[in-house]
Amino acid sequence: MEDIEIVNLWKQYSKKLDESLVLNTQHAADITKMKVQSFLNGMKPLKIFTVLLGFFWVGFLDVLIIHLFNTATSFFLVSATILSLLNKLAIGIYLYQLILIYQADINQPVLATQDKLARLKSSTLWIARILFLQLPLWTTFYLTTSMFTNGNNVFYIVQISVTLLFTLAAFWLFFNIRFENKDRKWFRLIFNGNEWTPVMKSMELLDQVREYRSEIKNSDT
Amino acid sequence: MNTSGQPDLFLDVIQANKGIIYKVANAYCFHAEDRKDLVQEIIIQLWKSFHNYTDAYKYSTWMYRIALNTAISFYRKESRRQHVSNPLHAEILHLEDTSGIDETTQNIKFLQQFIGELKELDKAVMLLYMEEKSLKEIAAITGISATNTATKIARIKKILKQKFDNIKN
Repeated sequence: MEDIEIVNLWKQYSKKLDESLVLNTQHAADITKMKVQSFLNGMKPLKIFTVLLGFFWVGFLDVLIIHLFNTATSFFLVSATILSLLNKLAIGIYLYQLILIYQADINQPVLATQDKLARLKSSTLWIARILFLQLPLWTTFYLTTSMFTNGNNVFYIVQISVTLLFTLAAFWLFFNIRFENKDRKWFRLIFNGNEWTPVMKSMELLDQVREYRSEIKNSDT
Repeated sequence: MNTSGQPDLFLDVIQANKGIIYKVANAYCFHAEDRKDLVQEIIIQLWKSFHNYTDAYKYSTWMYRIALNTAISFYRKESRRQHVSNPLHAEILHLEDTSGIDETTQNIKFLQQFIGELKELDKAVMLLYMEEKSLKEIAAITGISATNTATKIARIKKILKQKFDNIKN
């Protein structure tokens, strides 16, 4: 098939469409009467639920910290405070991204718009990185001073090993969860769920945008 | 441009360029249900952006930008078969029965299928090429330079030709 044949084929397709494509003007007119959705109304229920759950969780942590401030151990207070801060940071980034995506200007050229949107969506990985940092805190919040003064060697070995392991895992994930590793097996395993599909697809699109951009650079030089 | 109270003008623009919406939706959505949703989403986005339209560009350029941006983002949302808070479920654009499957119709179907299999950005570039847009206009819509567009198109055409050759052999 020659170039001209492909274009001619498309022309015939366009001609057929011109002859047979019908616009339902009533439904199109209905759209012009629709109220523009606010940011909150435009959010999917799952996203609203996630944000609410996040607010509830950090609220619960903060109430615990305030109420137990004079009675809880330092281990608990420090762990819970860092946990609360990390979660607040994650919620903040999540909301900020959602607002930026909502406000994205789709009147702009395709490459620029898709680059911006894909970057925003794929930067959701930052949320995962931050949330993984809380891993070691789950191995320290229950500790007390007496556990250390009265503990035996088994306790020390198990406790230190587990905390060390969780800390290493948290930092390893924090530094390795990034775009460049998106094709690794472990990466695909972590971000396997449906909720992560848009993020994975955004990263694939970023690859395409980079390919186009690098060719633009090459053709300019 | 103040378009408040100008739904009639908007509908005229949509009517005159309905082929753009359909072709973009058809290239980015395989399933009829998804395509129906995408057509609606594109028209919603066009209406929301109508007040931003300036005559610096042609209506078709403005429409292609929004339709392609919406289609690529929509594609990434995965197949959305449920109609969450969707008051307009009816089909806005539909094809009247075009019965009879000759060789040309069959080839058009293959071409649509092959276009559908391209990567998102390649698909956008190829759609515009087949619509016989000039390299300058393609650059205005996609933001990709003329030189780069020409190189890309040559590569994509090669892929399409290869696919057509495969089905013939």
